[in-house]
Amino acid sequence: MKVLNADSAKSPSGPDLGPDRYLTTPETPTPAVISPDQVEPADAKVMASVGVYVEGKGRAGTYILRDFHTLCLAAQSDDVELLPIAGALQQYDWLRQKYYWKAVPADLDKYTAQCASLPEPQGYFVRVQKGAKVTFPVQACLYIAQGNIAQAVHNIVILEEGAELCLITGCATRYGVSSAAHLGVTECYVGRDARLTSTMVHSWGPNVEVRPRSGTIVEEGGAFVSNYCSLRPARSIQTDPRTWLNGKHASAKYFTIILGSQGSTIDIGGQVYLNGEDTSAELAHRAVCTGGHIYQRGLLVGNAPCQAHVDCAGMVLDAGKDGFIQSIPGLMALHPEARMSHEASIGKIAPEQVEYLQSRGMEEREAISLIIRGFLGGDIVGLGPELDARIAEIAELAGHGEE
Amino acid sequence: MTNILEIKRLCVAVDGEELLHDLDLTVPEGEVHALLGPNGSGKTTLVMAIAGYPEYRVTAGQILFDGDDITELDITERARLGIGLSQQRPPSIAGVRLQQVLDYVIANAPQRAQEIDGLAKAFQIERFLDRDINAALSGGEIKRSELFQLLATRPRFAMMDEPDSGIDLEALALVGDMVNALLSREAARPVQRRAGLIITHTGQILDYVHADKAHIMLDGRIGCSGNPHILLDTIRKHGYEECIRCILRRQKG
Repeated sequence: MKVLNADSAKSPSGPDLGPDRYLTTPETPTPAVISPDQVEPADAKVMASVGVYVEGKGRAGTYILRDFHTLCLAAQSDDVELLPIAGALQQYDWLRQKYYWKAVPADLDKYTAQCASLPEPQGYFVRVQKGAKVTFPVQACLYIAQGNIAQAVHNIVILEEGAELCLITGCATRYGVSSAAHLGVTECYVGRDARLTSTMVHSWGPNVEVRPRSGTIVEEGGAFVSNYCSLRPARSIQTDPRTWLNGKHASAKYFTIILGSQGSTIDIGGQVYLNGEDTSAELAHRAVCTGGHIYQRGLLVGNAPCQAHVDCAGMVLDAGKDGFIQSIPGLMALHPEARMSHEASIGKIAPEQVEYLQSRGMEEREAISLIIRGFLGGDIVGLGPELDARIAEIAELAGHGEE
Repeated sequence: MTNILEIKRLCVAVDGEELLHDLDLTVPEGEVHALLGPNGSGKTTLVMAIAGYPEYRVTAGQILFDGDDITELDITERARLGIGLSQQRPPSIAGVRLQQVLDYVIANAPQRAQEIDGLAKAFQIERFLDRDINAALSGGEIKRSELFQLLATRPRFAMMDEPDSGIDLEALALVGDMVNALLSREAARPVQRRAGLIITHTGQILDYVHADKAHIMLDGRIGCSGNPHILLDTIRKHGYEECIRCILRRQKG
């Protein structure tokens, strides 16, 4: 495997980050795997804030990675196979041959190279076998409890033909951990007529640097829904997940919700390659800027008869002199029957809307929160309770300020 | 009888231009007053200023509500005291549904949940509860949405800005029913209606709702006050021009 020198291949966007500034290998021995209900209460509270509940109620499985090691692994459904990635690679030769580093190239940039250079990868492997429809979500938490480490993760999700799964991934730092790096590779394979809904919630310390790298391949009739929500802005987040819709009627939907605040740089992209006939893609970015820099990107590439739409919307609230949102929706039609459209808008809350709700008895802050909540999720149908709860939280944080 | 609203020598400016000048108005508890006047006479400015919209800046004078000076209170504080306003052209708010406003009201008065549900049914509001507030609604639907919110919040003093404008007769009858429901007697005060102030340009709503007194506004002042039916008859027969001439004659005399 080609592994680049970590100093050489910079990412084309986002502030450059040297993983060598951080501790990249564990200094302590591998701890024992524990049951999720044995997680320390303070940590469990943080995990719950990103949608991961250690009680495991209403979940088909739980995976928790703390710093460099698997802390918990519990599959509560026969339909789901849940393993640490290292164990899965040992168990299945085909995993390395067909899937490992196939949707995200190891030499994409210095961050993937860093993940590839580790002697034993950390992260989860989830497989849902043919036709299995998993009722409850599988939850995974990628948790940083130790400051100044670079947590490198490699996850693989495979849905076989006709399978269905909701995956909730919560990423967070322990209270008091300010500085760290999170490098995450996630490869998803959505089989024929399968459906994967992936909801990722980030809540990082103020000086954490985050570089997720994701690739998803969707076969004929498959559907991939990706929800991404950043609750507490890290110092920098840069990601540009890519999806290839290779089969006929395959579809992808990306929905991202970002809260930016002073000192943070958040650069969220999304690329969808519509290669199969009658494929469709929808990319919706929503951002609230209370300071810092937010970039919303999206690139849809139509290589076949397809339908695609990208929509970037931003709201700027007391962002100071330096705060901004830059929206860059992009389309590339490489087929005459590719129907593609984009829209972008950035604005502030209209005072008459706030005053109108105040005239019904709401406090100004309550009114602002309700308007932000509507802006973030009001026009998106069926987000589900997890994302609804996160949107409410962002609206609350943005409306009330961080106290 | 105590006065629920007392306005003393009120001056209000919008964008630096004074639109209300030394205006006096008193509404006793339990009375409903109509506010008539030609376009641009300051009717909407007056109710927006009473509701506390900051764009309508009070530069002089006082607004007393139930005897207390509320001139410095913000919109929320006034709403919580019991001042309600149905606007003529309320803003739409993308992603915020009427139901969410109701949820807020009910969260603060859970004992009224069933009653509010019944009001939504009775006034055919249910089908736009899940729409964005004031978005993609017809003129009549906006009036009903606004009045329904007042019915839900049950203000002690309800102000309605042209509930009868731009709607057909059938819708007007329903709006009339809603206004009457809004102003209907309070259980604890069987001989009293709820107090209110209704702005009407055409006076049509007064065919459905009884007003105790009417005022005609002209150039940011109350020019004339009296029996609503007599004033309305004059306006219908001679137009606002005659009212203006009469008011000017009286001012000069």
